[in-house]
Amino acid sequence: MAGSNDIAFEKLVRPHFDRLYRLAWRLTSQKAEAEDLFQELLIKAFGKLDDLIHIEEPGSWLARMMYNLFVDERRRYARRRMHTLEEGDMQGDGLAGLPGPDNPAWDHERRERIKALDAALSKLSDEHRLIVLLSDSEGYKLEEIQDLIGVPVGTVKSRLHRARARLREILSEDGTFSSDTSC
Amino acid sequence: MKIKGLDIIMDKQDQEIRALLKDYPMPEASAGFFDQALVRATHEGSRRQRNRWLMTGFGSAVAAGLVLWMVGGFLLATPDLPVADPAIPGITMTLEEPRTINLVFASAEPLDAATLTVLLPEGIEMSGFPGQREVTWETSLRAGKNLLPLKLIATSPYGGEVLATLRHDDRGRTFRLRVDVG
Repeated sequence: MAGSNDIAFEKLVRPHFDRLYRLAWRLTSQKAEAEDLFQELLIKAFGKLDDLIHIEEPGSWLARMMYNLFVDERRRYARRRMHTLEEGDMQGDGLAGLPGPDNPAWDHERRERIKALDAALSKLSDEHRLIVLLSDSEGYKLEEIQDLIGVPVGTVKSRLHRARARLREILSEDGTFSSDTSC
Repeated sequence: MKIKGLDIIMDKQDQEIRALLKDYPMPEASAGFFDQALVRATHEGSRRQRNRWLMTGFGSAVAAGLVLWMVGGFLLATPDLPVADPAIPGITMTLEEPRTINLVFASAEPLDAATLTVLLPEGIEMSGFPGQREVTWETSLRAGKNLLPLKLIATSPYGGEVLATLRHDDRGRTFRLRVDVG
């Protein structure tokens, strides 16, 4: 039977599960690692339940805690990624379990473009990849990114600009986007 | 005009990239994952809180245990009772003569994948690891007292402090041993 702490904890954290899991995935790019990070966050947060109860915006607080956990454990995650790569199954992990060709919305060209985007994102630095994903995939505002990673808005803005430019460059180089003006 | 044309291309590409990024997919969490994660968190969180108290107690006791083992190997301290911090224990070694010291780790429960790191001062070596000032390995602890013999060799007359740090999850405990070479 759940204790009162368990119930209070669930009430505070459950509304943020989806957003936190998405953040975990954007940080780690791998499902198993995203789940590990999410789990570790919950364990740590439960240990700080007394603080959590008094936090005005638990979602942001939990997201920051997750980001810090990830940064602290980055070497571990990077090492695991390397092992996965050695096993030859890193490619496409991000696409595993996604809708396949039987889904009408999933046409071949689009799939190829997503693959190219996946590869291009992996060529960005960790900072650039994260910022572009948070901003353009998750819809975080600049202030939210500032709050999460602890750098000024101006820095977030310039990193985002550089990240997008680099992404465009990579995708143009590999031919994903044509450079002609036939529009 | 040429620059304007380039801007148009870049704008178009930016729009396409942003549209792709907006729909950049991610797999859903495994079925039932959130519920399981919640249960594990409350159980594990409670366990860690309990262990934090136990560690506070037995950490000091283990330090005391180290001294007792080294001075004669009798009278082990009770592991779950806090005791006052003892002064840093010390031993005197003879140059080039191996000496085994026994670290005693008392654990309230079995611990898998704990990491033990031994830091050695210059001139003190661990048998089997010549020239290494830092030796780390993974180990498992049984519930109760665990004995770890470390064979040390003094290769210079300077001595120093040996630090042994045991880590498990987010907990850690460091034991210090002063080594004099006579």
